[in-house]
Amino acid sequence: MSAIHLQNLVKTFGDFIALKTMDLEIADGEFMALLGPSGCGKSTTMNMIAGMEEPTSGKILFGERDMAGVPMGRRGVGFVFQNYAIFTHMTVRQNLAYGPRMRGAAKAEIERRVGAIAEMLQLSPLLDRKADRLSVNILQRVAIGRSAIMEPAIFLLDEPLSNVDAAFRAVMRTELKQLQRQFRQTMVYVTHDQLEAMTMADRIAVMDHGVLQQVGTPLEVYNNPANVFVARFIGAPGMNLLKGWPIEGDRGLVIDLGSSGVTPPLPDDLAASVRRARGEVFYGFRPEQVALAERGLSMPVSFVERIGARTIVHLGEGESAVKAVFENDVGLSVGHTAVVAPPASSVRIFDADTGLAMRAG
Amino acid sequence: MADIVFRNVTKRYGTTLAVDDASFTVNDNEFFCFFGPPLSGKSTILRLVLGLEVPDQGEILIGGKPVNSVSPAERNVAMVFQNLALFPHMSARDNVRFPLVERKVAEADIKRRVADVAAKLHIGHILHKPPAQLSGGERQRVAIARALVREPAAYLMDDPISALDARLREETRVELKRIQRELGKTLIYVTHDQEEAMSVADRMAILENGRIRQIGAPAEIYDRPASAYVARMLGSPMMNILPSVRGAGGIEAAEGTIRIVDAKAPAEAIEIGLRPEDIKVRPWAENEMAEAGKGRPARVLEVEPLGGYTVVTIEAGQVRLRAMLRGQPDIRPDAMVAISCDPARVHYFRQSGGALAR
Repeated sequence: MSAIHLQNLVKTFGDFIALKTMDLEIADGEFMALLGPSGCGKSTTMNMIAGMEEPTSGKILFGERDMAGVPMGRRGVGFVFQNYAIFTHMTVRQNLAYGPRMRGAAKAEIERRVGAIAEMLQLSPLLDRKADRLSVNILQRVAIGRSAIMEPAIFLLDEPLSNVDAAFRAVMRTELKQLQRQFRQTMVYVTHDQLEAMTMADRIAVMDHGVLQQVGTPLEVYNNPANVFVARFIGAPGMNLLKGWPIEGDRGLVIDLGSSGVTPPLPDDLAASVRRARGEVFYGFRPEQVALAERGLSMPVSFVERIGARTIVHLGEGESAVKAVFENDVGLSVGHTAVVAPPASSVRIFDADTGLAMRAG
Repeated sequence: MADIVFRNVTKRYGTTLAVDDASFTVNDNEFFCFFGPPLSGKSTILRLVLGLEVPDQGEILIGGKPVNSVSPAERNVAMVFQNLALFPHMSARDNVRFPLVERKVAEADIKRRVADVAAKLHIGHILHKPPAQLSGGERQRVAIARALVREPAAYLMDDPISALDARLREETRVELKRIQRELGKTLIYVTHDQEEAMSVADRMAILENGRIRQIGAPAEIYDRPASAYVARMLGSPMMNILPSVRGAGGIEAAEGTIRIVDAKAPAEAIEIGLRPEDIKVRPWAENEMAEAGKGRPARVLEVEPLGGYTVVTIEAGQVRLRAMLRGQPDIRPDAMVAISCDPARVHYFRQSGGALAR
């Protein structure tokens, strides 16, 4: 079994708490992304799983086996870093064959495995090329192949795509996902890029300041973020959050957003939770779900970015700034006033004090 | 006037053509972006403007004056430091003063010019602070002020925000664009990020191996790319470009999974280009038959949910194509789907890769 269990895992460096009691279950064969900004503790967590660092306290189990004191080389994990480790004096074939050869695999077996992995990573035409003649993109592919060929039960990747160019990154995302689907390894993938996490992972563990914020499928963390950090971090652009006070309106509970106006009524089940909590709240909605409307929040257009198929319209300023994403040109420009209304079902409410989401019911 | 003109400029390093016969005009007060992959020549163009390199052939004019033999110090263009870095041990004011102090400008002049540039960039109230106490946006303004205090005709930036993470880049590019609009000064900007280029540029030039492949407003280039190369450079996921053949039922691509009926399709077209957001995908009904004007079924390989959008990778015969669908449609790997595209949204390319008009 190659499930990974992190139990009460803590890591401190002197006074600095890199990781604060992390509990996480990664299922056998699961693709788990550890996602967060720099300094959130994701690489520290990964390094402890790999055996490069010892936990200050807490446990790491692979299946039933406690990993305490088990050195890196004995953990049976494959590891790919941001900066690929490739023997530049060797060919692609020699690089791929290196691991199995060191393990004493038979020649025919090595050839078969090199062939298979090269095919999967589209390296077949390059097998006899010297590594020092290859682009960064291809080298990272070789690095992934070198690790994958060992068929580790657990595959750890730390920002493997951050040095490759954008177009190639999109291709590699699909290939990594395919690779994992084929070999069914347990994959732990560290990234600060929410797009990578969203597109590849079965589940995402969102981290900030050494604290696990939420674990869920990509659409769970996008649709129902547990707190304002996750709401802002997931999505490009992140969720809009406007501060306001709940007040009773004619047609139900509404949020008074001050200068931006008053929101449409909240759905009844959500309103019930907000009434119980009574405090100031964040009114949240996704930029992609904003629609222009007759009635709604009236906001001045402050900036317009047309980026290919999408147009990002920036509305309002400072505390009351929000973004709306439209397809193509919407005919809004700076100086216009836009009336926007997020559909009631897409509105999310967060406690302004704790930052925590208020759930319906 | 601070327009910058290149006339047939070529720059070689040994046998490598870094810039190959480049001609363009950057207009006064324009935010002009050079965009291309590594080693495509964009940074060399910046160095040529600055005077750090001299053209092997051709002529460079700044504000109407030929500058080929003018030294960098006398060119009146200013580079904003990489990553908008400031000296951490100096106050914002001393950072801004630095280029003038270094040039031994008279103290009264320094005071006047620092006050001027600070007013323009709205940083008068933070000049006493050290960089560590400034927000990211304030630091950028100070870095730009330091470049502009010399009162250059134009300023230049070389991939200034590439080191920032994705979220911060989104915010910063908007701020840079706002500052440039407020200042109304010519800005030449280099980036390798297509989204950033499209967001900030009034006009942009797309480079390949030292050659300028297309110049225009970002939306213009995105909507009407001059070639398959340019088409692939803008947009994420990139445009699907597929070999196509003319069949009885219209133009076919990806082994008949795509059929386009378009009376205006140019005869010389050997490839079609489909933007991911223009591709429509629907489940293939169980008893459905392929028929004229409709493609054969294709298989879904991968589904990437982005929340607001869903990218679907489809295996259509030997090719893979990507479609970007709005929202969170219920499509799963291995599902059979029908693919279609509005003929008016199809791009056509000739043998050489050049785009064909409909």
